[in-house]
Amino acid sequence: MPSLESEPKGISWAEQVEAGDEGSLPPSSEDYDEKNGIKTITEYKYNDDNKLIKVVKTYKVEVRRVSKSIARRKNWKKYGLAERDPPGPNPANTIISEEIMMQFINSKDQQPEKEEDPLAKLKNQKIVQCRICKGDHWTTKCPYKDTLAPLQEQLTEDPNKKLAGESTGALQAPSSAPKTGKYIPPSLREGANKGRGETMAQGRKDEAATIRVTNLSEETRETDLQELFRPFGPISRIYLAKDKLTGQSKGFAFINFHRREDAARAIAGVSGFGYDHLILNVEWAKPSGNQ
Amino acid sequence: MKPILLQGHERSITQVRYNREGDLIFSCAKDNTPNIWYSINGERLGSFNGHNGAVWCMDVNWDSTKVLTGSADNTCKLWDCETGKNLVTIDTRTGVRTCSFSFSGRVLALSTDKTMGLPCEIQFYDVLDPQQLRASKPFLSIPIEGSKVTTALWGPFEEYMITGHENGEMCQYDTKTGELVLSIKEHNKQINDIQGSKDLTMIVSASKDTTAKLFDTSTLDHLKTYKTERPVNSAAISPIKDHVVLGGGQEAMEVTTTSTRIGKFDARFFSLVFEEEFARVKGHFGPINTVVFHPDGRSYASGGEDGFIRVHNFDQSYFEHNFEL
Repeated sequence: MPSLESEPKGISWAEQVEAGDEGSLPPSSEDYDEKNGIKTITEYKYNDDNKLIKVVKTYKVEVRRVSKSIARRKNWKKYGLAERDPPGPNPANTIISEEIMMQFINSKDQQPEKEEDPLAKLKNQKIVQCRICKGDHWTTKCPYKDTLAPLQEQLTEDPNKKLAGESTGALQAPSSAPKTGKYIPPSLREGANKGRGETMAQGRKDEAATIRVTNLSEETRETDLQELFRPFGPISRIYLAKDKLTGQSKGFAFINFHRREDAARAIAGVSGFGYDHLILNVEWAKPSGNQ
Repeated sequence: MKPILLQGHERSITQVRYNREGDLIFSCAKDNTPNIWYSINGERLGSFNGHNGAVWCMDVNWDSTKVLTGSADNTCKLWDCETGKNLVTIDTRTGVRTCSFSFSGRVLALSTDKTMGLPCEIQFYDVLDPQQLRASKPFLSIPIEGSKVTTALWGPFEEYMITGHENGEMCQYDTKTGELVLSIKEHNKQINDIQGSKDLTMIVSASKDTTAKLFDTSTLDHLKTYKTERPVNSAAISPIKDHVVLGGGQEAMEVTTTSTRIGKFDARFFSLVFEEEFARVKGHFGPINTVVFHPDGRSYASGGEDGFIRVHNFDQSYFEHNFEL
């Protein structure tokens, strides 16, 4: 506490004004315990709600031996913005902040950055999984996003097995559509096809290998679809619904494959595939209404 | 440790300095009033009122009688340390970016900004010649043709001035002839700060290119590199231990878009020799603009973009810390 001992304790003008207003305040007292070097100042004042409060300030008085030049500087008068400050630190300018610890970093396990970054933390746990390559990243960030390479690898293996059984019943097309409690017209329900004549089946052959792709982006072109679906097998026709005026895609398309197996594989492979920031939805095309 | 918060500025702190004995702290900020504080308890001794612009730099002479401040209002002012009275105002044509007393306190150096079509200049004034100061006529003026000076430091025996430039260059200018003695480019972005070791055999530079580097003072040989992942605004060498403290954080303009936790506003302590970080201290709410060690090495002060100065007295654990090899 520079200057606290050397100068008589003056009261700042603000306190004097206050004291004058309120009148009969109990006198402040000062205790100094020389043995322990503890000084206690007891003051009384009125708070904002006009209630008398007692303020007890406890200081630890430390005597430090310093060079003469420093000791002289301790007795300098305050100036500038601090001119009217009472001796000792002004609580408006000097605050003792709460205890903080120096965090030591062990050179052995040194990866403090990772711990602090919440995103980095998540990286270690498998929260994000790519739908294309099963890596630890978002599907849109997948390096194979546009190449479909891992997709095809995967297709050569398990979906073939899975579809082997399915493709035996060539005409049970709708049964492979997701059975999620959606409404299925009676004509499409299982067993509904049995009542149809042979001739009808002939006309539907085409349709049976048709898939419907939805949730396409507006920028999609037929060539894009061709690129996307050609790996699965020969395509006979691609129909992309377009707006008459703008020529932009309406967001869905029909793809006719020559073979039904190819179509089935395309559904298994491309459904849920992120394309152009959208997630594609691929399913069997429903028979057109005019039949 | 319980840091002392010095809250005397309304805007971000630009520089904090101790005097030679370490009992006073000098601080300046982008507001107009530099402050002076007692380092032991954080009591404010006074402020220097008179500038009309951001104060970029300040310095105190060796016997703590005179204080120098350089401001963006195109003036450099000399103050009496005891009374806070303005002694002389040196008018410059552009803002003053750096200013410092030589070791003897007889010569003061300042560097000006390259603005309004005027070049950056390093100017030298004789403090004992009031004529020179009042007329703002330096006895030596070095025009800097290339990138402007962002930080400057007196070399040993006042023989040369070490300057850090906006493009990452570091130069030595002879203080007698004004010649360029040596020039190196180890940083590839702006050098924000250069501070010397206690005996001035080494200097540490802090750069926007996210590193701080240690150099030999006389040859400017690159010795060590301290790497971080954010711009480094200031770096200081401990006078008693082989430690370097780095202060920084991402750029002020990006602060509002990130949380304090990711902002990395902590002061970071590196081993001078092994270039390895061994401790860090949190506390600021914005990037640290300036760090400086107490001359006795037992405490350090940091000033931040948040407008606070924090004075930290090291715990015993800091002195007992040893490197595991």
